[in-house]
Amino acid sequence: MNYETIYLDHAAATPMDARVLSAMQPYFSEKFYNPSSPYLPAVITRREYDDAKHKIAVLIGAKPAEIIITAGATESINLAFNGVDGHVVVPNIEHHSVLANAMNHKNTIVQSDKRGLISAESIKLAIRPDTRLVSVALANNELGTIQPIRDIAEVVKVERESRLIKGDKTPIYFHCDASQGATQLDVNVARLGVDMLTLNAGKIYGPKQVGLLWLASHVKLKAQIVGGGQENGLRSGTENVAGTIGFARALELVSEHRKYESERLMKLRDSLQKTLFTAFPDVTISGHKKHRLTSHLHMSFPKLDGERLIFLLEKRGVLVATGSACAANNGTRSHVLSAIGLKPELADASIRISLGHLSTTEHIEIAGKIMVEEIKNEYQRVKLCQK
Amino acid sequence: MSKKLKVYVGMSGGVDSSLVTALLVEQGYDVTGVYMKNWTADLPGVKCPWAEDLADAKRVAVQLGIDFKVFDFEKQYKHVVVDYMIDEYKKGRTPNPDVMCNQEVKFKLFLDAAMEDGADMIATGHYAKVVDSSWYMVNSKKEADTHNLQPTTYHLQCAVDENKDQTYFLYRITAQALSKTLFPIGEFTKPQVRKMAEKRGLTTAVKKDSQGICFVGQVGIRDFLSLYVDPKPGEIIDKQSGKVLGRHDGAIFYTFGQRHGLDLGGGMPYYVVGKDMDKNEIYVTTDLNDDNLWEKTINLTDLHWINLAPKDGKYKIRVRHRAPLVEAVLSPGDDNTLKLDLNQPERAIAPGQSVVIYDGDICLGGGIIT
Repeated sequence: MNYETIYLDHAAATPMDARVLSAMQPYFSEKFYNPSSPYLPAVITRREYDDAKHKIAVLIGAKPAEIIITAGATESINLAFNGVDGHVVVPNIEHHSVLANAMNHKNTIVQSDKRGLISAESIKLAIRPDTRLVSVALANNELGTIQPIRDIAEVVKVERESRLIKGDKTPIYFHCDASQGATQLDVNVARLGVDMLTLNAGKIYGPKQVGLLWLASHVKLKAQIVGGGQENGLRSGTENVAGTIGFARALELVSEHRKYESERLMKLRDSLQKTLFTAFPDVTISGHKKHRLTSHLHMSFPKLDGERLIFLLEKRGVLVATGSACAANNGTRSHVLSAIGLKPELADASIRISLGHLSTTEHIEIAGKIMVEEIKNEYQRVKLCQK
Repeated sequence: MSKKLKVYVGMSGGVDSSLVTALLVEQGYDVTGVYMKNWTADLPGVKCPWAEDLADAKRVAVQLGIDFKVFDFEKQYKHVVVDYMIDEYKKGRTPNPDVMCNQEVKFKLFLDAAMEDGADMIATGHYAKVVDSSWYMVNSKKEADTHNLQPTTYHLQCAVDENKDQTYFLYRITAQALSKTLFPIGEFTKPQVRKMAEKRGLTTAVKKDSQGICFVGQVGIRDFLSLYVDPKPGEIIDKQSGKVLGRHDGAIFYTFGQRHGLDLGGGMPYYVVGKDMDKNEIYVTTDLNDDNLWEKTINLTDLHWINLAPKDGKYKIRVRHRAPLVEAVLSPGDDNTLKLDLNQPERAIAPGQSVVIYDGDICLGGGIIT
C-alpha cells in the first residue's frame, strides 16, 4: 500500500533545492563565525553574508542596505505594520499575518471581487488623509489571483504627491507581501513600484524561517527587535548567515527559471483542471481566470467535504490542501472564500492544489487519475448515505 | 439478511476509539463516527489540541470509509461539567469532571443525540465491559441470588486490563444507557489495542494518550481554576502546633492529602489535612500518620446505582481511579447516605471525590464523599 507521494501543496511549503542546501552547509560548520567578530575568518564570513544580501538586492532591483533579513514573512509583515503608526488599508483576502496586524491599527478593509481581485480603484477609495500604510499581497495564497500591484502603487504615489502639494508631510507607504508568487512573477521593486516588499525563502525552495523586508530609502520604520543593532538597527540579533546564503541562492535559482517554470506549470495545471472539470462538470473553480498563478488550482466539489477529500487523497499519496481547515460548527471557515462570496457549503467542499518543482508531467497525470477515482467514489458514498 | 445495526461511535481522535470504530466496521455494523465538540479553553501559551483531535478522528473515519459527524455540545458541556467543577472547587470540594462528563455528556447528550439521529446503539473507547444479567447469574451466582436481579438488565463490568479499567469514571451511568452501549475494547489490554490498531494501519496507532484536563490540554487544574478564581492570600497553618508556616494564594487551589505545591521550603514534605474555606486557611502536617490523613469510615451522598441498590454487607470499593479494590462493609447512613467501614484506613479521602462499589468485578454504582 506504499504509494509514491505526489506533493501538490507548494503554496504551503517548498522542498529545499539541493543546491541551496549545499550552499548553506559550510555556514553551519567551518564558517560558523559571528559576522561581527574582528578576526579574519569572521570577516570573510561577514563579506560572504554581505555578498548574499547584495545578490538578493540585485535580484529584486534594490540596494543591499535597504534589505532587512528576518525570520520569515510573518516577521517582515509585523515589522512593516508595527513600524508605522496610524490608519492602514488592507484587502479582506490577505493572509492572517497581514489581517491580524491591521487589527492593531485603525483600519479600512477593502472588499475583494468574486475572483479574488483587488482593484486599484477600491484602494483609492479606502485611503484617508491619515492613512500611513497600504498592504496588498502580490498573489493570493489560496486562489492564486494576481493583484494589479503597479496600479495600486500608482494610487499610493498620487496620494503621496497630493499630500506634498498640500504641504502635508504625513507619509504613506505601500507594502507588498510577495511571499506567494515569487517563483513565477517579477519581484523587481522598481517595476512593482512599491515602498516595501516582503519575501519568504521558505516558499521559493529555500530555508524556512528566513525572509526579508525591503524598504525604499524614504521609508522610516520603528525597530521591533532591538539589541546589537544588526540589519540597520531594525532587526537586532546575530545574522542568520546560512539562512541568508540559502535565501540568495534560492532566489537566484527561481529567478533564472521563472518564465520556463511558469509556463511548464501552466500546462500541467490546465491539463489537471481539464481532467477534473471533464469528470465533474459541476465543479466550481475559484480565482481569476487570467490573472492567476499558474501553479494554483482552487476547486469546490458540490456536496462533498474538502477535508474528507484530503484524507482520501493522502491515503493514495496525493497531498493537497483545503482552505477550509475546520469541520466544527464554530470553526474557522476560510476567510478568503467567504470574502469572495463563496457559499459556506461550497467553501467546505473545496481543495487547493498548488504545483511546483516536484510536479512532473507523470505525477500530474497520476494525480488526475487518482483524484477522479477518489472523488467519484466519494460522490457514490454520499449518495448512498442520503438514501 | 436483516438491516445492519446502526452504531454511532464517539471518536476522540485517540487510538482507543479509533480501534473501536475499526472493530465495529469489521464486525459488520453500519458505523458512523462522531466527534463530540465539547467546551474548550485556550489558556495563554497552551493550545487545546481539539482541532487536531477532530482531524485525527475524521482521518480514521475516512480511512475506514464511514460517515463522520460533529456533535456540538459546547454549551451543555460548559454548563454541566465545567461550571459544576468550578462551583465544587469554590465550595472547598474536589470534584471529578470525568465522572460528570460521562454521566451528563457521553451517556446522556451523546446517547440521546445519536438515537435522535437514527442510531440503534452507541459505542465508545472506554475500558469497561457491558454484560447482561444472564452472564451475571452464571458467573456470580451467590451475589446474583442475593440481589434478586431482573433477568434482562445490563451491568457494568471491569475491563480485562486492570491498569486501564475506567469503571471508576463510569459508575454514574444508567442501566438504560448500558443497554444501548458497546465497549468493544474492554476485552483487550492497552498494548493489545495499540498492536491491533497498528496492524490495521490506523493513523492514530502510535498517538500519545491525552494528558491533563480534557478541555484545556496539558495544564494543571490549578492553572485552569486561576482563570476563574482570583487569588486570595491566606495562611498555611501547622495542624499540630497551630503555627503559621507560610502563605498560600487561595484555599480553593488545595486538595485534601495534597503534598506538592506548598512552597514551604526544604525539609519534611507537608500534606494538606484540612481547609477552612470561610477563613481561607489550609492546615498541613508532616506526619504521614496524622489521623486526618487517614479514614476508616467514609460517608457517601448523591448515591447512584446502575441497577438495584446493594444490600448491606461486605463489598469491594475503589476510592480513586486505578486504586486497588479494597474491602468495605456497607450500611445505611442518615438521609439517604451510605456508610462505608473499611478494613484498612485509606489515605487522602477528599470530599467531592467518588467512591465506587463493586460486587466481584461488577460495578454497582457509588456515591460522593461528604
